[in-house]
Amino acid sequence: MRELENPEHRRTLTAFSKEVHFLGRSMEEIRKRLQTGNRQSQGYLERGHMMDYAQRYCDAMEKLRRALAEAGVRATGMRGLVQYLGAYMDSEGYQELQREVKALREGFSRVEYCMLIRSGTIRVRRYEGEKDYSKQILATFEKFRQGDVKDYRHALTEEPVAAHVEDAVLHLVSKHYKELFHELDLFFSKFIQFEDETILRFSKEIQFYITWLDFVDPLKAKGLPFNYPRMCHSKEELHAEACFDIALAADGRKEIVTNDIHLTERERILVITGPNQGGKTTYARMLGTVHHLASVGLSVPGKEATLMVFDNIHTHFGKEEDLTTQDGKLQDDLVRLHRILTSATDRSLLIINEIFTSTTLDDAVTLGWLMMEKIIQLRSLTIVVTFLDELATCGETVVSLMSTVEEEDPLIRTYKILRKPPDGLAYAMHIAKKHRLTYDALRRRLEK
Amino acid sequence: MKAHLMFRNRDFIVRKHPDGEMEQLIADLELARILEHMSRQDKIVQGVCREALLHPLMAREEVGYRQECVADALENPKIVRMLYQITINTETRRKKTWSWFSPHYLAGTFSSAVRLLGLYLEMLMELRMVADRHLEGLRSEGFRNLMILLQEELDDAYFARAKGQIDDLKKSDGTLISTQIGNYLQGVHYVLRKKEGKGHWKKWFFTPSYTVDARDDAGAKDMDKRRERAINEATNALAQATDHLEGFFTMLRRELAFFIGCINLSETVGEAGMPLCMPVLEAMEMRDRSWQELYDVSLLLLKGSKVVGNDLDVKCKSLYLITGANQGGKTTFLRSMGQAQLMAQCGMFVGARAFSAPIRRGVFTHFKQEEDKNLRSGKLDEELHRMSGIVDQLDAHALVLLNESFAATNEREGSEISRQITKALVESKMEVFSVTHLFTYAASFATEKGVQFLRAERLENRERTFRILCGEPLRSVFGEDLYHKIFAGESEPFTEGGTLPAVVSQR
Repeated sequence: MRELENPEHRRTLTAFSKEVHFLGRSMEEIRKRLQTGNRQSQGYLERGHMMDYAQRYCDAMEKLRRALAEAGVRATGMRGLVQYLGAYMDSEGYQELQREVKALREGFSRVEYCMLIRSGTIRVRRYEGEKDYSKQILATFEKFRQGDVKDYRHALTEEPVAAHVEDAVLHLVSKHYKELFHELDLFFSKFIQFEDETILRFSKEIQFYITWLDFVDPLKAKGLPFNYPRMCHSKEELHAEACFDIALAADGRKEIVTNDIHLTERERILVITGPNQGGKTTYARMLGTVHHLASVGLSVPGKEATLMVFDNIHTHFGKEEDLTTQDGKLQDDLVRLHRILTSATDRSLLIINEIFTSTTLDDAVTLGWLMMEKIIQLRSLTIVVTFLDELATCGETVVSLMSTVEEEDPLIRTYKILRKPPDGLAYAMHIAKKHRLTYDALRRRLEK
Repeated sequence: MKAHLMFRNRDFIVRKHPDGEMEQLIADLELARILEHMSRQDKIVQGVCREALLHPLMAREEVGYRQECVADALENPKIVRMLYQITINTETRRKKTWSWFSPHYLAGTFSSAVRLLGLYLEMLMELRMVADRHLEGLRSEGFRNLMILLQEELDDAYFARAKGQIDDLKKSDGTLISTQIGNYLQGVHYVLRKKEGKGHWKKWFFTPSYTVDARDDAGAKDMDKRRERAINEATNALAQATDHLEGFFTMLRRELAFFIGCINLSETVGEAGMPLCMPVLEAMEMRDRSWQELYDVSLLLLKGSKVVGNDLDVKCKSLYLITGANQGGKTTFLRSMGQAQLMAQCGMFVGARAFSAPIRRGVFTHFKQEEDKNLRSGKLDEELHRMSGIVDQLDAHALVLLNESFAATNEREGSEISRQITKALVESKMEVFSVTHLFTYAASFATEKGVQFLRAERLENRERTFRILCGEPLRSVFGEDLYHKIFAGESEPFTEGGTLPAVVSQR
């Protein structure tokens, strides 16, 4: 993985992997058609495709070998690849393939024929220097040119519309170039299975790593740090520095604010309160994704991290907006919560976001307490995002965090999530003051 | 092919978005009416003449070339109008035959273009015939060269070849396409080829063939696409050829339009019985001016009868201070000056019996705007802002026409501002004509060199002649006159003089 962080290598391998994968699939299809005796596979067009794939295959191999030789590789895995490539490409079979493709291609590049199309009938002859009509027209009227004019050419595809017509035309052409087309026939039967199995498998497996690194690269370029975390078991302290939510970062529209995570050995539950739109959900999601990425062996956002090896991640994200189904929602919340709490262990990661929003505050507090009790017993690593301040003070394993705002202007969010006891009211007072709607301010305004 | 009637060796360009700054100049000098009579509602003529008037030529050689063409056009109005009419007819017929060059239907574009080319060839033939018949009568370099160009480029052989190609394209006896081999043997790089006359059919008759089955829809569609690919380039060539020709006729019309404008205006002015003359333009460094019966062409066009002209003959002046009676023809005089300068520098005749002046690097006007008492406080600010905008555009040897500028304050302040601005302009090699009633301002230049004082004439009996004569500023202004005139005869206060200054008549 770390060798692949070299962008040069990665570019080479990405291109190679894509190309070879495509060629393998295409040849598979040709062979399938051949077996089922499909009429199409008898045609010259199919042979043409096969020749093309063979050429692209050779080109891709050549390119990979050259690139790897130039860049130089150190990792054992990569050195093995280079060795295999060398042996394969020096083999007589491969050499022959390469030679014959080249010869065919040269032959066909010299072919130029004329079609005479008249009401549904095509006749074909070799091209014999007939004059280009367009050039003659332009030459006649060029002298009136006053300046640049529009390009009226349509972007027409050069792909044939009906393969069988193109095939028929090629059969007509083959009568004028008998030898060349005979060579093509021989080539087709000889090299119908030209791809190498090992190469195909390699091109497929490398994709996983490449895709992730390609995704991470532009983020790194923006100065966002990534690291390979140290993994630990549930009893140790957890730590992540300058971490961020990768989904938000990939979105690219917002300035990314990084946050730290720190939990001592005893602390297992994070409760986040504070003003809305302050980054609470983002923080919760961040904790989840960081753990998930680490568990599949990829690099994770942040400067450095010590994360927990977990058995499962359970999430519960409430949907606040959906008012129409309020009746069923509380029930739904509880059913889901029940399912989570019964399957979670002390090695699980729980993310519970805005639960119990569809009931009265009293109810919510009561239910919240009950839920917290359960979780404390479970000792799962848990993060709870909630508007219920009460939940943040349920014991020594619970850490209270808050989303914060600028002191001068309470409408500006800092998106920093800090360790802080809950104080929902203070924020409300800030806003009120700003709008001169605090008790004193409102009194003064109403006096006038 | 270029007409090059406006310049000896370059095209005349009419910019698509004329700048708004010029609007003020047009309004101040009342050029709109002149343009109206030049164009007689032809938008092309209007646009071209506007462009020519507002972008004065700076080289005497260029002015000379155009003056010669204008003189030729005035002597041979019929030939010029005939040529111009051909360009208009072409445009009219083009619009009629026009079927939109569809971005989706290639074959449609192909046949439209072939039809259009046929039309253009006809119109080119008409041009050729005018050239054949009338080359003899023309004597200017520009018009003679155009006629010779038409004869040489559009000779009989050319018409034969072009017509042959177009007729051939109209036939539908099969499409010949050359093809190369693509990466998987598919045909690529289709090129439409010319079927060589003799032996063509014999040669192709015995070649192997493939016929698409009548029920084979995909095959039929494939055939259409083949033809489309083949005519793609050719259609482009044809469509571009029509563009070239459209461009040619547009260019020709544009080049001729200015001369149509000149012919129109000279006819109108001639009917009113006022003189026109080809001006003499001196080098930019010169500071001499001389004219006889210089008059406001726009005022003439408004009235339709004779207007008062002025004479002048001075040397080495760069500041002209014009004072005198209100409603005495000062503004009219300033306008006639500005008009003449612009018309002269675009190669036209001017409204005078004789006119000689140095070439100027543009004409700039700063005229007092309509009074608005409510905005008085902001007015001087507005005027200075406007002046500053003009100063941004000035280069040495520009002509600046000031009309009661900076008077929106008391005489002392206005005079001092005016004096400083004027002095600075003149010392920076500008030529300034300044109409003012600010005595202090005018008098402050009494001892300077290169200053010419002019004054609106007033007779003993308080009658105005609307003539501008040489004369120092007088301390008292004749506003009282106006008062008397307005309050004397209540019914028709302005009849006695017989001539109405433009300023009054507008109110």
